[in-house]
Amino acid sequence: MIAHHPSDELLLAAAAGTLDAGAVIVLGAHVEGCASCRATLRQFEAIGGAMLESTEPELMAPDALAKTLAAIDAPPPPARPAPAPLPRPSLPEGVAWPRSLAACDVSRWHWMGPGMRWSRVTLPHAPDANVFLLRIGAGKALATHTHSGLELTHVMCGSFHDGRSRFGAGDFDAADGDVRHQPVLEPGSECICLATAQGRLVFDGAIARWIGARVGI
Amino acid sequence: MPTGDEWIEIVRAVAVAGDRSAFAVLFKHFAPRVKAHLMRAGVAHELAEELAQETMVNVWRKAASFDAARAQLSTWIFTIARNLHIDQMRRQRDAHGAHEANDTADGDGADLLAQVAHDAPRPDEQIDTARREGAVREALRRLAPEQVQILRLAFYDEQSHARIAADLDVPLGTVKSRIRLAVGHLRRLLQGMEP
Repeated sequence: MIAHHPSDELLLAAAAGTLDAGAVIVLGAHVEGCASCRATLRQFEAIGGAMLESTEPELMAPDALAKTLAAIDAPPPPARPAPAPLPRPSLPEGVAWPRSLAACDVSRWHWMGPGMRWSRVTLPHAPDANVFLLRIGAGKALATHTHSGLELTHVMCGSFHDGRSRFGAGDFDAADGDVRHQPVLEPGSECICLATAQGRLVFDGAIARWIGARVGI
Repeated sequence: MPTGDEWIEIVRAVAVAGDRSAFAVLFKHFAPRVKAHLMRAGVAHELAEELAQETMVNVWRKAASFDAARAQLSTWIFTIARNLHIDQMRRQRDAHGAHEANDTADGDGADLLAQVAHDAPRPDEQIDTARREGAVREALRRLAPEQVQILRLAFYDEQSHARIAADLDVPLGTVKSRIRLAVGHLRRLLQGMEP
């Protein structure tokens, strides 16, 4: 049961096409598993359609239709061979990769502390987007941190409590500089989150800060 | 202007028979609107012209995949134009930045969300598209004109927001909070219309 959803503003920005590439990946992972957000997204796209329909038309160039027909007649760009499936690090049994990561490069799991691993997600179409996976063992806690910009998180599996609320598989969270939290994993199973940060995570402790800087999240 | 059903026939004629006069009808109606929409969103005149033409090329190529049960024609064309615009901005950024140009001309990244959003509706979300889109249009009609104007802003980029904030002589944050209010109002209207 999904308890936390993206805000209407985020979904509207996605529908409008003004959301940055990293956010689209994380939001897409949530939307894939959330029927209600899918319906909202389609509704917001329908607003786009209505806006388009009601826009006062702008004159096209006199040869616009001719040029367009010529482009149609030109041979279509050669179909690219289907890309070989990209290597993927391991996931716990029963957990699937979100489709939004299909074209992304996902690094192997790197150690970042006892029971904590992370992986870098690289977007082919936006290599400087800061997108990463965190994999935290049951019962562990991530160091207390705040954010220099907006951090979006999608929980792929497991659950944690960060003092504000409990987040479980399928949940989505948006946290900014006003949120200073320490996600504490619930016992039972490990937790994997897909996240993107517009700024950097700002950790409290010196060691956590050092690891955060080294890892680059 | 063709009715909804006639539009569907027109797209089918393009998809099935490669009917150029049917395509010309689509072009005449939608290309000038796509261009106008992009210009409002801050795209320069010449580039908007180019992207509008490119949108229509994609309409031709993808006509067979248009499914009237999933989206209205204007919504489908809106998403095509949106994805081309996103890709164009990425290419521009790549050209300016130090990265190698990435070949995303067919919109892998931008299409993704559209694909997820338009996956075949699952059994629990078999709501009739026509009804849903009808509801959106009805809600927009019921919304105060100023709020529709504000909602329109959500479809434009940050720079346009800054420009509009300057025009209205209000802080940027005010534009954003007005957008939030308008979205909330629209959502309440839509919820009120659900059976």
